[in-house]
Amino acid sequence: MNPFNTVTRQNWVLPVSILSMVLGFMMTAAWVTKESRSRLNYASGTQQDRVGSGTIDFQEKYDQLSDEVSKLRAEKTKLERALGDQGSSSKALNEALQEMKMQAALSDVEGPGVTVTLKDSAKGGGFEVDQAIHDFDLLRVVNELWNAGAEAIAVNGHRMAIGVSIRCVGSVIMVDNIRIAPPVVIRAIGDPQTLNGALNLPGGVLSEIRSSDPTMATIELVRKMRLQAYNGSTAHKYALVAKDAK
Amino acid sequence: MIFIPIVALFIGSAIAFIIIGPQKGIVGQYLAVACLAGLDTILGGIRSGLEGKFTNEVFLTGFISNVIIAFSLAWLGDKILVDLFLAVALVLGARIFTNLSLIRRIVLTKWQDARERRRLQQRAAAGQTQAESTG
Repeated sequence: MNPFNTVTRQNWVLPVSILSMVLGFMMTAAWVTKESRSRLNYASGTQQDRVGSGTIDFQEKYDQLSDEVSKLRAEKTKLERALGDQGSSSKALNEALQEMKMQAALSDVEGPGVTVTLKDSAKGGGFEVDQAIHDFDLLRVVNELWNAGAEAIAVNGHRMAIGVSIRCVGSVIMVDNIRIAPPVVIRAIGDPQTLNGALNLPGGVLSEIRSSDPTMATIELVRKMRLQAYNGSTAHKYALVAKDAK
Repeated sequence: MIFIPIVALFIGSAIAFIIIGPQKGIVGQYLAVACLAGLDTILGGIRSGLEGKFTNEVFLTGFISNVIIAFSLAWLGDKILVDLFLAVALVLGARIFTNLSLIRRIVLTKWQDARERRRLQQRAAAGQTQAESTG
């Protein structure tokens, strides 16, 4: 038998093998991993750059101002109390006022509840968008907590009062126009068991975050905690109490 | 001979794993379709090789054009919101099946032929020795 004949007859082996190697390369590149199924759909635009953003330098100034606000609010409460001391009718009025203030998140409240801590994953590698906490994560947790019957919620110490927004500007999360940085601590007053159950629902808000990295979301049941009053602006320009409702 | 490309496949994926790792997002999806096209061409190459009809040029151009066409069809489908991805997957899937079954038949026939030949040779040899001993 002619040895060259066998060589020419199997000349397909080399090119096929080489391209087969290329194919193997491509297949690995296309391999679907857990990280490639992403929560990207929720994040948009510059949000994705938020990973690893630096420290927030407005913190100090903010703390200063909010201290001042709480001081003034406390003074106001004192004045109201003094007013209440004057007579029984004004006392009743004052009680109603305090009740309204609590409803509006303008007074400190305390009670049992849960503490939810959301933080960026420290795992590294994988899909970066999934490993950061985003504004929509906060929104959904807060929403779920309200739904589960939370009576007061604070995100990193900022009370969720009427008109408080959670959004994302550039690469930072803003709560009521104040920049916050992970870890985000959401504290809610309500029945701890119910709140915990609502957050841990299968397919619920936290399950998605936990699917990226279980350490990103932790819940703690608290027997007693105190939430500070809302200390942002309460000025209003347009809304007036309707005349016939007074 | 068929095993060499298969081994090469694993070598290639090992290299990719070390160098780049799985790609993320939408590119990975297009690449998946391109992979189907590549697989189809490779199997086609093996088949034609076994049939003795293999030509280098046809195989090379087939591989490259198939991959590019599949990739761009999937991309186009994404842009015009028609799942052309499915069309590609369906056609290539069918072709992969055809190629695989043909390869199987060729290999099986070869193997059966070889066995038959050996049997005949043994019988002929036995016949010869028998003829010698009786003769």
